[in-house]
Amino acid sequence: MVGVSYFYLSLQFFLTPMNYKKLTFKFVLGAAIGGSLLMTSCGPGDKKDAETGDKDTVNAPSLVKLGNAHFSIPSPFQTAMLIKASGAQYNKDILNPAKNFSKYSTNFKKAINLGVYGADVGYVTMYDQTQDALGYIGSIRKLTEELGINNGFDANTMKRFEQNLGKRDSMLSMVAVGYRASDAFLKDNDRLDVGALILTGGWVETLYFTTKAAAAKENQDVKNRIGEQKYTLDNLIKLLQPYYNQPDYTGLIDQLIDLAYDFDAIDIEYKYVKPVTDVANKTTTINSSTKVIMTKEQLEIISKKIEKIRNTIIG
Amino acid sequence: MKKILSILSLICLLGITYQNASAQCDSIANICNKNMAKNYISDGQSYRALLNNQEIAEFKAVFYGNSTYRISGCSGFTDGNLIFSVFDQEKNLLFTNSDQKNAPYWDLKFGNTLSCTIEAQLNTTNQASGCAVMLLGFKQ
Repeated sequence: MVGVSYFYLSLQFFLTPMNYKKLTFKFVLGAAIGGSLLMTSCGPGDKKDAETGDKDTVNAPSLVKLGNAHFSIPSPFQTAMLIKASGAQYNKDILNPAKNFSKYSTNFKKAINLGVYGADVGYVTMYDQTQDALGYIGSIRKLTEELGINNGFDANTMKRFEQNLGKRDSMLSMVAVGYRASDAFLKDNDRLDVGALILTGGWVETLYFTTKAAAAKENQDVKNRIGEQKYTLDNLIKLLQPYYNQPDYTGLIDQLIDLAYDFDAIDIEYKYVKPVTDVANKTTTINSSTKVIMTKEQLEIISKKIEKIRNTIIG
Repeated sequence: MKKILSILSLICLLGITYQNASAQCDSIANICNKNMAKNYISDGQSYRALLNNQEIAEFKAVFYGNSTYRISGCSGFTDGNLIFSVFDQEKNLLFTNSDQKNAPYWDLKFGNTLSCTIEAQLNTTNQASGCAVMLLGFKQ
């Protein structure tokens, strides 16, 4: 517990709004300088003369943000696949109804529920519920329009989605590409807060329906997947932390931090094993192992807390 | 007045340059996407950074067990300009494409869920600066 407190206190120290502004400014300035260099030095003639020794070999490499965010949040679709594979029955009642989109009036609510619907469309598609999927895609399109996200879910995408109804893999792929295009658009337009909310909504909804699946049917893989969210929750909090002082964010981040304390009590044992590379197939098998140790009580507490967070989001 | 005009000019210049850099990143992302075969589903995110010389871009990623992921890393308009490496939570190197002639993509098969760090930097013998794009997808 002390470790966690120290971690979050440190995080709050490093990611005060003032510091974040500095980081953002540095990024824009870096982008401009990098862009200038790109325009002047990119292309066939941009090879630096390796023999001149011009390279900066004295200074240590410096770290920059990738995608202007340090964190990747796993796709909700993967967990929906796991739930389906566990033998859990389709349950529409655990999803946020597609028609709810019309009650979200603020950009905060629209963005976070855009993420929720991304997870829901993955779930219904996995269970081949094509009509439900169409309903969610319609709501996703409306929310992206209202948020001014021009990429991702345009009329053309909708048409292609309808043409591919029943083809699960194509449908999932199209939705994923749509979300990626939206993510790129938001990053290009410096709307990182909206991108972070979409990821948060997707993560919360996925964890919520995973806990429901775990309660409905005993399955160790599903339970492990819940415990493994310990890693992602830490990343998610770091992703949201720059916006902590904005009114809508404070309550959400506080709730997530509270949940992180419960996740922190879960042990994940790790053992490194040397990977094996198959060059011919361009594949490396990662043999390191992890073991999630989570009690029934811990699972119950997490399930209750995520339900509360989720209901606040979709309400 | 002169001062205001100078500031406005600088802001405009920064804006135009930033837009151009974004357009470059978009073009590179489109090229990079060609490495993602149809049986790989995107994680829904696009990772980009403008890098100079030996700068390293890094991000944290969680890879689920019993899954195969494809990592595609690009910079510039040809292959081999981006070096990417994957480390586990103890900083053990799990994979680097620099051992594989800077291959533009590679598949990683995870038996267990791992929290990893991915680092990317330009192959400075080819390119001194530019937009680095990384894409992640999982096998259906």
